[in-house]
Amino acid sequence: MATPTHSLGYAGCNFLRQRLVLATLSGRPVKIRKIRARDDNPGLRDFEASFIRLMDKITNGSRIEINQTGTTLYYQPGLLYGGTVEHDCSVLRSIGYYLEALLCLAPFMKHPLRIVLRGVTNDQVDPSVDVLKATALPLLKQFGIDSESLELKVVRRGMPPGGGGEVFFSCPVRKALKPIQLMDPGKIKRIRGVAYSVRVSPQMANRIVDSARGVLNKFIPDVYIYTDHMKGPNSGKSPGFGLSLVAETTSGTFLSAELASNPQGQGAAMLPEDLGRDCARLLLEEIYRGGCVDSTNQSLALLLMTLGQQDVSKVLLGPLSPYTIEFLRHLKSFFQIMFKIETKPCGEELKGGDKVLMTCVGVGFSNLSKTLK
Amino acid sequence: LTDRLNREKSLTMKKAVLTASDSDHCRTEEAFASEDESEESSSLISEEEDAENEEMVRKRLPKSSQEGRGQKLGPEDTIDEASDVEDIFQPEEDYKEESNYSTETSGTLKWKEDLSRKAAEAFLRQQQATPNLRKLIYGTVTEDNEEDDGDPREELGGLFRVSQPDRECK
Repeated sequence: MATPTHSLGYAGCNFLRQRLVLATLSGRPVKIRKIRARDDNPGLRDFEASFIRLMDKITNGSRIEINQTGTTLYYQPGLLYGGTVEHDCSVLRSIGYYLEALLCLAPFMKHPLRIVLRGVTNDQVDPSVDVLKATALPLLKQFGIDSESLELKVVRRGMPPGGGGEVFFSCPVRKALKPIQLMDPGKIKRIRGVAYSVRVSPQMANRIVDSARGVLNKFIPDVYIYTDHMKGPNSGKSPGFGLSLVAETTSGTFLSAELASNPQGQGAAMLPEDLGRDCARLLLEEIYRGGCVDSTNQSLALLLMTLGQQDVSKVLLGPLSPYTIEFLRHLKSFFQIMFKIETKPCGEELKGGDKVLMTCVGVGFSNLSKTLK
Repeated sequence: LTDRLNREKSLTMKKAVLTASDSDHCRTEEAFASEDESEESSSLISEEEDAENEEMVRKRLPKSSQEGRGQKLGPEDTIDEASDVEDIFQPEEDYKEESNYSTETSGTLKWKEDLSRKAAEAFLRQQQATPNLRKLIYGTVTEDNEEDDGDPREELGGLFRVSQPDRECK
């Protein structure tokens, strides 16, 4: 941070969020070239432009330069400022796309972040707000980011392609993070879920619940799936339904899975029964992968471990996702942190896929912009 | 053990019956053998395993098993083989009993042999099977760093260092 660092250079449109988030946290400028340079429609997409605008809103003094075709981006990060912010997200990606980055940045703001995001709350690509609420917030609490003001609320639900959803997110700030030792995934204690439906028959949610329970009740009796049918102005602009499931273990680990219906006018109509059953199976697969952090939040956990105090953090993960692998490479180039990676083959008592034990020493990152009282 | 030997005997008898089919050479134990035949395929398989070191049986095994699969008790069409079978049969049976006895006793303690070597092999197999994730993720990083540090041309007059931006990552 304090060192006068030169900028990092990248080429290509992949992992734009990772690069901008890590650049902001490390204070190093980045230059990204060749963003879809050979594409018929070159340059940054709308959702990426919207993301860059969001970064500009939550920081103070950032310098962003984009060339005329949008194929080259220079980003010199400013200070994370926070405060009360509103942002209209692009409907091409769901709010989860923006929220994942905010979860990484929010604990290091000058003022606690209170943000209203508008757009698509649930889609088929990004982690939905429901899943992030159920898995990422407990993870933040493990790092000592715990307070009444840590909140994520779906005010209005919006499905693609129309959107029209609204989410409120607030997060307290911390000067330093606690190191974690998450080694024991525990056993599955209960399964919770939310079956939502907007602008379709409220019976859809019940049908999803029935079929999902049909799969899950064979394994565990403690299954409860809430139905969430939003009406009127809270139901967004497009019809749709979906399910998100979360399995909680005895040691406080949350594993999640989700599915959403095809957007209106795209793809075949889906039966709610099929969706419920498939989602339940996805949850079983996630449980098979296991680990102390589920696969959507692997990178968040690794980032917060890196930014912790100068102490050893350990976490047991399931198989690393491709996104996480690239994130590890980026952590190395921005923070010069390399993790110790040990494969733990599952023995007789530990059923499921192979596990990976990640160990690192934090860089001793402290939130310098936080005001002392 | 005597039970087992009896069973062995009956199995060999069955083989004879299989090849010799229902021609009337099968002497005294025919009743016994035909009784055993009701066990069918399961006993056939066990016999195939036992007879590994038994030369004569091995020679005949494919033939008999083929017949067994084809039509279980190959009836009329194998009569011409029957006389040969009758001649070979008697000494073969004795020999088989002996050899089976010896393999069985040594087999009970066989797993204890070379335990340390087996453990070493299992360890090496495990080592090769698990991919080196660190190398997969970070590549050969240590070597790259050494190269960067050991480059003397970047020093100007032994005092200043030329700081160059990182090479562009993909």
